[in-house]
Amino acid sequence: MARKRERLDVIKDILKSIRVNRQIKPTRLLYASNLSPQMFKEYINELISKGFIKIDIDKKEKKTFSLTIKGNEFLEEYKVIENFIENFGL
Amino acid sequence: MDFYTWIITNKELFKIFYALIILIICIVIVLKTNRLFKLSLHPGIRYFRNAFFFYGIGFLIRYFIGTPFVYENILPNSHAFINLAFEFFLVMGGFFLLYSLLWKRFETDVPSFSSLFNSRILILYAITIIAVILDSLWKMNYIMFVSQIIIFIFASVISYSNLIKSKNKHMFLKYYFTAMSLSLIAWILNALAALYFEWNNIILVNIYVLNMIVFLLFLYGVIKVTKT
Repeated sequence: MARKRERLDVIKDILKSIRVNRQIKPTRLLYASNLSPQMFKEYINELISKGFIKIDIDKKEKKTFSLTIKGNEFLEEYKVIENFIENFGL
Repeated sequence: MDFYTWIITNKELFKIFYALIILIICIVIVLKTNRLFKLSLHPGIRYFRNAFFFYGIGFLIRYFIGTPFVYENILPNSHAFINLAFEFFLVMGGFFLLYSLLWKRFETDVPSFSSLFNSRILILYAITIIAVILDSLWKMNYIMFVSQIIIFIFASVISYSNLIKSKNKHMFLKYYFTAMSLSLIAWILNALAALYFEWNNIILVNIYVLNMIVFLLFLYGVIKVTKT
C-alpha cells in the first residue's frame, strides 16, 4: 500500500508544480496536486500566508500562482529538511 | 600524573571547559534546527530544537550562573534554586528529545501554535515540576535519575527500531542510537555515583566525557546532515 503523503511532501509537490510551470492556473494546480478541493484550498492559503507563493493576475485577468523567493528557497532546502527528518527519526 | 589525576586536580577548569563545549554545541544545534523549522514548520524538528534549547539553558544556569563567585558575591543563598532550575531544564530537555521521536503518535503534522505551551507539553512540565519539588524535599536526585534512565531506555529502543526500519539507508540513525545508549549509560553511572559512590571523582569524569561524546555526536550529525 502506498504511504500517505505527509504535509511536507504535499507542500513540496505543489511548489514543484508551480516551479515547473513558472505560472500556473488554480485548476491545473489542483489537478497536479492530487488533493481534494477543500484540502487544496487549505494548503494554498497556508502557502500564501507563509509567503511561499503569490497570486498574479495575467493579461486575460485570470488568476495564476507563482513562486516567491521564499518558496524557491524552501524547494532548495527541502532535500536537507527531508534528510534531517529521516536521519534523526523525527 | 595520569589523566584522571590531572583532570581532578584541575576540576573547576575542566567543568568550565566541559560546560562551554556543551553550551556552544547547543547554540549551534538550536540555530541550525531553528532555520529548518522556520522553513518546514515540522513539529519533530521543533521539539528536537527545544530539547537542545533546554539543555543549553540548563548548562548555562548550572555552570556559568551557579559558580562560587556568583554564590559569594551576587546571589547568596541561590545554590538550591540554581540546582532546581538545572534539574528542571535537564529533565525537560530529555522529555523534548524523547517527544521529538514520539510526536507523530500524539499529534498531526500540522504544527500547534506553540511547542512550549500546548496541552501535551504542559503535562511534561507538570511531571517535571513535581519531580523537581520531590527531589528538593528529599534533598536527593532520585526522581531525576529515574526519569532520565526511563527516558533514555525508551529513546534507545525507539532509535534502535528506527535504525532497523531504515535498513542502514540513513547514516546518522546509527549514531543516534549510539548517542542514546551512551546517555543511558551516563545516567546509570550518575545514579550509581550519587547513591553508592559518594560522587566519586573518577566516575564523574567518565560521565562528563560520555556526555561530551553524546553532544559531539549530535553536533556532527546536525552539521553533516544540514551541510549544503
